[in-house]
Amino acid sequence: MPCPFIFLRKGVILLRKAGAKSTVQIRTRVVVIILLICFMGAIADMFYNQIVRGEELSVAAFNQQLKDTPIRAKRGTIYDATGKVLAKSATVWKLAMEPKYFEDDEQREYVAKGLSELLDTDYDKIYKKAQANTYYVDVANNIENELKDKILEFRAEVTEKYSDLANVISLQEDYKRYYPYNSFASSVIGFTGSDGQGLAGLEYQYDSVLSGTNGRILTALDGVGKTEMPYEYEYKVDAQNGNNLVLTIDETVQRIMEKYIKQGLVDNKVYNRGAAIMMNVKTGAIIGMAVEEGFDLNDPFTVADEQKRKEIDSLPEDKQSEKESEYLSQQWRNKAVSDTYYPGSVFKIITSAMALEEGAITLDSTFYCSGAYSPYEGVSPISCHYTAGHGSQIFKQALCNSCNPAFMMIGQAVGAEKFWEYYKAFGYSEKTGIDLPGESEDVFFSSDGTMGPVDLAVSSFGQGFSITPIQMITAISAVVNGGYLMKPYLVSQIVDDDGNIVSTTEPEIKRQVVSSEVSRTLCEILEENAVSGAAKNGYVAGYRVGGKTGTSQKLKDLNEDGVQDYIASFCGFAPADDPQYALLVYYDTPTGDSYYGSTVSAPVFANIMKEVLPYLELEAQYTEEELANMSTTAGAYTGVSVDDAKQTAEQDGFNVIVYGNGDTVLSQIPSGGSEMPQEGTVVLFTDEKSEQDVVTVPDLTGMTISEANRSAAMFNLNLSISGSASSSNCISYSQDIEAGTQVKPGTVITVSFCETDIAD
Amino acid sequence: MSQSAVKNRDRVQQVQQSKKNAQRLNTKRKKPKFFDVTTGFDMPFFITVILLVIIGLIMMFSASYPSAYYYRGNSYAFFLPQLGFAVVGVIAMIIISTVDYRQLRRWAYVAYIVSTLLLVLVLFMPAINGVHRWISVGVQFQPSEIAKFAVILVLACWASTHPNKMDTLKTGLVLPLIFVAITAVLLVLEPHYSCTVIILLLALIMLFLSGTKLVYFILMIGGGAGLASVLYFSGVLSSYLDDKFAGWRHALEYVDDHTFTWQTRNSLYAIGSGGLLGLGPGQSRQKHLFLPEPQNDFIFAIVAEELGFVGATLILLMFAYLVFRGISICMKAPDTFGKLLGTGLCVQIGLQVVLNIFVITDLLPNTGISLPFFSYGGTSMLILLAEMGVVLSITRQARAEKY
Repeated sequence: MPCPFIFLRKGVILLRKAGAKSTVQIRTRVVVIILLICFMGAIADMFYNQIVRGEELSVAAFNQQLKDTPIRAKRGTIYDATGKVLAKSATVWKLAMEPKYFEDDEQREYVAKGLSELLDTDYDKIYKKAQANTYYVDVANNIENELKDKILEFRAEVTEKYSDLANVISLQEDYKRYYPYNSFASSVIGFTGSDGQGLAGLEYQYDSVLSGTNGRILTALDGVGKTEMPYEYEYKVDAQNGNNLVLTIDETVQRIMEKYIKQGLVDNKVYNRGAAIMMNVKTGAIIGMAVEEGFDLNDPFTVADEQKRKEIDSLPEDKQSEKESEYLSQQWRNKAVSDTYYPGSVFKIITSAMALEEGAITLDSTFYCSGAYSPYEGVSPISCHYTAGHGSQIFKQALCNSCNPAFMMIGQAVGAEKFWEYYKAFGYSEKTGIDLPGESEDVFFSSDGTMGPVDLAVSSFGQGFSITPIQMITAISAVVNGGYLMKPYLVSQIVDDDGNIVSTTEPEIKRQVVSSEVSRTLCEILEENAVSGAAKNGYVAGYRVGGKTGTSQKLKDLNEDGVQDYIASFCGFAPADDPQYALLVYYDTPTGDSYYGSTVSAPVFANIMKEVLPYLELEAQYTEEELANMSTTAGAYTGVSVDDAKQTAEQDGFNVIVYGNGDTVLSQIPSGGSEMPQEGTVVLFTDEKSEQDVVTVPDLTGMTISEANRSAAMFNLNLSISGSASSSNCISYSQDIEAGTQVKPGTVITVSFCETDIAD
Repeated sequence: MSQSAVKNRDRVQQVQQSKKNAQRLNTKRKKPKFFDVTTGFDMPFFITVILLVIIGLIMMFSASYPSAYYYRGNSYAFFLPQLGFAVVGVIAMIIISTVDYRQLRRWAYVAYIVSTLLLVLVLFMPAINGVHRWISVGVQFQPSEIAKFAVILVLACWASTHPNKMDTLKTGLVLPLIFVAITAVLLVLEPHYSCTVIILLLALIMLFLSGTKLVYFILMIGGGAGLASVLYFSGVLSSYLDDKFAGWRHALEYVDDHTFTWQTRNSLYAIGSGGLLGLGPGQSRQKHLFLPEPQNDFIFAIVAEELGFVGATLILLMFAYLVFRGISICMKAPDTFGKLLGTGLCVQIGLQVVLNIFVITDLLPNTGISLPFFSYGGTSMLILLAEMGVVLSITRQARAEKY
């Protein structure tokens, strides 16, 4: 007998000795022991599954039982300073399918067909989605209420036809971002992506503030996913709607700025966009920031510029998307904070401020300009823009002449070390910290401020280093506001969904850079500069304006026309006796008749200020000469006899021209109550035939004021003068009604003039 | 003492003994005393059965009402019939307990033949879910449940009829195996494999208890393993087994699968969700249409989910107590037939419980082994309670023997 049986025998003998009597009893004990082991095994098995890996299994069970539905938080609204809505979210619907419910292809076809017709999309695409073996497939976004209702109707039809498909189509509330003013302030506001996340501008910068916190509903669904389980583990977290932003930007100011920046862009054939920033110098609040060309915020992924779009279309297909993304990133770039440029002569204000503050020069220091200057011996001389030489000038004259040799001398008097110190103090070496994304840093000669003598010489008139426009206006604001460098900001308040103020931005003084005396002195000189100096194109009638022009060379020939490219800029402020607002206007690569800051940017500055300052409730105080140029209001002369009307109008100081042969005046142009120039022409119409008469508007540009007046008078038109018209050197550069347009006699044509003989 | 004198004395003793027995039987028949210490049945065993039936009914209701409502439109669709069977079953159990189990010896072969005929008849019944398991005559019932009892009964009867020949090959192995084989083949034809396996295991245990030589078991187990591997590798069984074994021990891995591992995976989810103390009675989540047919073989997963490890273990301990209490009392039965029959019936309960647990935890492939007193099924409930009645009857005699 083999070995194992001996052991079994012995086991049986042992059991027998232990008290068991019969075979049945012994064998029963064996069976009982085996069963006992099995029972212990079963309990151990339960222990393993319930305790050892219970956690893991119950998590898996939860994942299967719970349906997690997100509740989208409503994104906050963006308001301008006066409470106008610049960006808001509106409810739309998101369409999803739960294709798991489909039982056969006939159902899939039916639903896919219905949905593709409603959504006007490809049938195959939806059919493919309907084949997925899941409980959730996205079908369409941004469905408006009207379409939503139709989809609900269709769902009812589907349910009627196939009762199992009641849940196959689901609509979820979602939000879509609307920008009521389209391209308005596009660089500042920015836009959001398809999931509502901020992608540019303030939308990006304040994304966490605006977006709020999504909520969620966790519902326990049964295994078929049709009904909720009767248990209290529904878990709902309400969405917390995003906070609203109140901007420092004023819609009216911004609109005025955009209008004139655009006009300047066209007038001067500017190649590479332009920008303007208006700042409250006392707080650092940005009142307006216009960057042209803008783009439609409701459609940010389309290249806004038509010509560029055509250029993209003309490219071979494989290169189109590359070019398109290049142009898109270009159009989204906020030129006012992301581009750097040589500041040019505007920087002379800063050089002056540091020199006066350090006492390196006094107001009486004289500087001789021979038309060129060598910073030190052996270096070829650097010429002045006025090559004949400004001769001997005191500091004030040097600044008003924008004389480069004088400023090289001033820079030398300050010294490289102090220059760097002030450069840093004015905030050029650091980002301003404005609440916008993509702010660039300056590019200086070296990171530690070391600069050679020639570097120092050109730096003192703003060449050789690059800064951003926002840095420039922040520094100029510091010069004119008593010497305090402010932190610029765009959001004045954050308000929650219920209208409670969450936070208010307090103006932040970074440091005092110059004394209030130096500040006051420079304000006075810059005001004089705007009245009679190089900046007089920036003069605004009725207001005490100070300013400085700047024309800087660009290193790169951007438009590849072989001609030196320039940046034309102008920075000014008002009122000069107590500066409130500073405005920087800057154009990159004007390719028109002129590229000077004084002729390109200064008139835009003046145009903007002329409209913005009254709006900002700064009272105008006109000189007598200005009053003469002012417009007046036409009286009402209709309904009376021609003679009476003529007499009254002449008494009001107008020239009178009568059209037609009637006895009574039927109508007049300009109409009663409308604005017209003093000593302008009133045209009276006496019969119906005469009322049909029209004249053709002549080209009034390129003329002096008197020439334009004469020309307008020949056509019985009124001329309203805009821009700098204080001297006889003014030449008109644009008119509001295009030449060749048919208008009624007596119509007022506004013509813009600027000084042409000034350069800097 | 002469031989005749000895014989005479033995005869006198025998007569006296049989008179005594007859007296006792007569007394009991006239006046059944359920709770009598000397002649009543075993009270702990009886109470355990009743407790398990009650807990089983409650848990069956809890597990079944969501699917009953969803699929039948009536939360009580499973509970009420089961309750009816349980009531009838308990009454039957008590009545059967009053009958002397030794009466069954006479009916053993009849019962076996009836069971075999039913197993043949069921093959001609229309298939439900692809298998011929139910006979429908007004009510549905499963002859395989009867077959289990019939096999235990006939083997107990056979072994007690041939007490001295059980160590022979013919009487101890071949002839009893013929009974088993006929039943097993008929069950395979249904097919009802899990029941086949249980009946084969029960038959082996019965023969083991009856004194069949150990060497035959070793040969049988070896031969069975060899046959199984031949069948498996020759591909005869493979198509069916592939089906049954696919996903076995991998239920958690095929998360996206909604067919063959779905039930086992959701069973494991339910068991795991229970943790130590459970989600509370009625609070199962997995019964909400996640675990298919939670009232059937997988009911204990829902029990584990609602009552936790503590509750599940208590129920398992009650089953264990029932089994071992039953076996230990039946071992005191006055005859071999009673010992074998009672032990066999108790082992059947134990086997089904243990195998059921191993299936719901994915230790064994999902083959369909129901949990006694818990799983939905009228035939099973009735037959099980009737079997318990038989065990109670044996305990009654065993106690009488004792006192």
